Amino acid sequence: MIVPYDHILILAVLLFLTGAACVVARRTLIMILIGVEIMLNAAGIALVGGSLKWGVLGGQVFVIFIMAVAAAEVAVGLALIVHSHRRSGSVEADHYHLMKG
Amino acid sequence: MPGKTKAIQQKAAVSEPPSLQERTMSVYAVIFYLLAVLILTAAGFAVTRRNAVHAVCGLIVSFLGTALLFYLLGAPFLAAMEVIIYAGAIMVLFLFIIMTMKVEADGDRSRPRVRRWAFPLVIGAVSLTAITILVWVGPENRLPLQTAMAAPSAFGTVLFRRYWPAVEIACFLLFVALVGVLYLGRAGPKEDQSFPEKNP
Amino acid sequence: MKTVLLLLMLFPLMGAALNALLGRYLTRRGVAAVACAAVLGALAMAVAAMVNTTAITRDIRLFDWFSVDGFQAVMNVHYDHLAAVMALMITFVSSVIHLYSVSFMREDEGIIRYFCYLNLFVFAMLVIALADNLIFVFLGWEGVGFCSYVLIGFWYSDEAKAAAGRKAFLLTRIGDAAFGVALGLFFLIFKDLSISHIVARTSLLSLGTATLLGLLLLWAAVGKSAQLPLLVWLPDAMAGPSPVSALIHAATMVTAGVYLLMRLFPILILSPAALMCTAIVGTLTALFGSFAALVQSDIKRVLAYSTISQVGYMLLAVGVADIVGGMFHLLSHAFFKSLLFLAAGCIIQALAGEHNIFRMGNLRRHLPGVSLLFLAGCLCLGTFPLLGGYFSKDRILLATFVHSGELSKVLWVIGMAAAFLTSLYTFRLYFIAFQDRPDGRKKDEFLQIPGFMSWVLYPLALTALFDGLLNLPGGFGKLFLGRYLASVPGSIVEVHATAREIWGMRIGSAALSLGGMVSAYFLWRRKSEEPALRGLRQVLFTGFYLDIFYERVIARPYNRIAGLLWTDIDEGGLDRGSEKIGGGFQRLSQGLRLWTTGRLSTYLRMLFLGFAALLCLLSLSWYIQ
Repeated sequence: MIVPYDHILILAVLLFLTGAACVVARRTLIMILIGVEIMLNAAGIALVGGSLKWGVLGGQVFVIFIMAVAAAEVAVGLALIVHSHRRSGSVEADHYHLMKG
Repeated sequence: MPGKTKAIQQKAAVSEPPSLQERTMSVYAVIFYLLAVLILTAAGFAVTRRNAVHAVCGLIVSFLGTALLFYLLGAPFLAAMEVIIYAGAIMVLFLFIIMTMKVEADGDRSRPRVRRWAFPLVIGAVSLTAITILVWVGPENRLPLQTAMAAPSAFGTVLFRRYWPAVEIACFLLFVALVGVLYLGRAGPKEDQSFPEKNP
Repeated sequence: MKTVLLLLMLFPLMGAALNALLGRYLTRRGVAAVACAAVLGALAMAVAAMVNTTAITRDIRLFDWFSVDGFQAVMNVHYDHLAAVMALMITFVSSVIHLYSVSFMREDEGIIRYFCYLNLFVFAMLVIALADNLIFVFLGWEGVGFCSYVLIGFWYSDEAKAAAGRKAFLLTRIGDAAFGVALGLFFLIFKDLSISHIVARTSLLSLGTATLLGLLLLWAAVGKSAQLPLLVWLPDAMAGPSPVSALIHAATMVTAGVYLLMRLFPILILSPAALMCTAIVGTLTALFGSFAALVQSDIKRVLAYSTISQVGYMLLAVGVADIVGGMFHLLSHAFFKSLLFLAAGCIIQALAGEHNIFRMGNLRRHLPGVSLLFLAGCLCLGTFPLLGGYFSKDRILLATFVHSGELSKVLWVIGMAAAFLTSLYTFRLYFIAFQDRPDGRKKDEFLQIPGFMSWVLYPLALTALFDGLLNLPGGFGKLFLGRYLASVPGSIVEVHATAREIWGMRIGSAALSLGGMVSAYFLWRRKSEEPALRGLRQVLFTGFYLDIFYERVIARPYNRIAGLLWTDIDEGGLDRGSEKIGGGFQRLSQGLRLWTTGRLSTYLRMLFLGFAALLCLLSLSWYIQ
């Protein structure tokens, strides 16, 4: 017997909010991506907990897909950061404001 | 924990000492809480570092903790994957990029720390309250989970039997990401015309 | 026969349509030719119809207009002798006026518009004259109202002239309202709006209903024919071109009201009260017009008030149940008054737009032809013995005298007084404007006017002078018109009176006429300056302040209310309100625009905020459940 599912969810939520705080508070693009990774991880924790709770393997399968997608996304995201860093020399998120309305 | 309380009450009614099994159950709980603390602390460390490399290192520790947690929650294969893919590949990639680009040590000198973190903390607190309310309502969430272990072979079978279309698509996705990264990573900043120029 | 009548009405309509659609491709002569050909064709058709018809009346169905629940509007024609005479007069006078207009409007830019509307007017007037179905009559009624509005305000770039047109339209409209109510009543009682059916079944009417209908029709006639109290539009309507004044205000539109009363006379005759009112209105108007004409200084305004006065006589004739007399005077008046207006038009053009008679003078010497024509008209208007208007007015006064009741005698006295005044103001006009004066116009002040303009008037003058032949009274034995109109319901061929009364009346009228002429000669022969407007003179000049009264009491408050509604409610309230709403939306969107900073950090914050809000919403809804 481990902990109730509540606790796993609370853990996942706290981790998610940490990631969200990182995304919102940090201005460097790299740090934003790190925050996204944290959030994805939190989702994974919640899913594995749910999979254990209901005894279905679907949750774990979902997590592996999350990992795959996270990998792809990080790769492309970092490539974009590198590219734009080359072009404009800045990795600040606020530097790119051409879409200002 | 309600379960334990109930067991203790039952035991008290029969006046017998707690059994090994029940005590062993609580070990997993202790491990869980320790791992939870580790994960959260490491993540908190990661988000507050100025130096990006330090942040990534903190994150790696957090992921390792998460891997152990997965194992605890009965997903050994996922634990391995977490270490290999997440901590091993993705974070390493981050490190490569950070070191190659020579990112400034601190890009966030724009505003003082407190002001920066005020907004996320407040909103985070609000969300936490809301979610806690949502989570705490259902009585079925209060029961402790039973341990179980998903054998990798069983996992693999489910993955490739029931979810094979998703596997195919995920592979395709990775392929597309590969192509995209190759394209974006080419040399030659002069071809692109739609970017804000250096030193704006 | 049906074709003839159809063509009679369609010729002017087609002329109008042709000029309206194709006028800009035709030359000026072409436009004029189309218009004149249309009216002359109508004249030919009127003559043909009159000659051809052997029956006393013919009801001919032309066109089904529309039909609603149980009601049918059909364009029928009720062609009896009255209609025949009216149609002939309309087309004849219109032809002369169209030919005259060709010269008169020779330099005007709006010639296409002018001829188009002139033809349209003739069509509408013919509809009134011939129509059987009262809705069809109403169509013509409104048509002449509209055309008169356009033609009076023809030179609309002058604000005053446009206002005159508007005034005419509005005042006749007040009369038209009564016509509308009468239409409703007719339908209610008779279930049918055909004149021929109505006059055949007048037994359905009670006395009260007949009186009501009579009064409503009288009110409609008062509006259209410019009688008391709705006459203030006619003097202002002189803002239009002189041929328009001749057509509309001498021959046709102002006679439309009287004509309607004559057509529906069997209804009027059922109600002595209505007849009495008609007679009173007519007489008082006759007197009013004569008084006002006595002090005017604008040549056309004298003629305008004169028209008001003469139409009053026609109304008086209807009031004493003498249709033949009324029609006779209608014809005489049409001829001599249009002659006067057209001759006045010649003078005005020759003097480059001078209307004031006190600034004329010496016209007899320098414009001999026109002076002669004008003199002919004046003699007819002033009922010079044995000429045009003498016989018709004499008949009316005789009919009034022999009519039963005390009131008739009073009316007769007023009528005689008005006759004297008529002669007086007519010859005042002639002597001031035409006689030789030392300070009159010199020869070189006269512009050259085309000869055609005056040649066209000679036939009209002859008709005016000798129109007494139409209905020479019983003593001389002809009574042409009287016998022709005998088939019209309600008409009397000859007024029955003693020989003493008849001869007394004749000599009395002659005496009044000559007396007026001589008095005018002595009073105004050498008058050259315009006298100041004071006291009694001013009262008469402004038409007993009637126009001013209307303006102060009715028009000005109404305008003020309208202005208030316009600026405060419409512009201020509604317009500004919707502008404010639009402005509010704009400001809202400007405010929202601040969100699109284009910066990633802002968007991420907003995402987080939205996420939190959603969660709060979910948890709250869970709690509320």
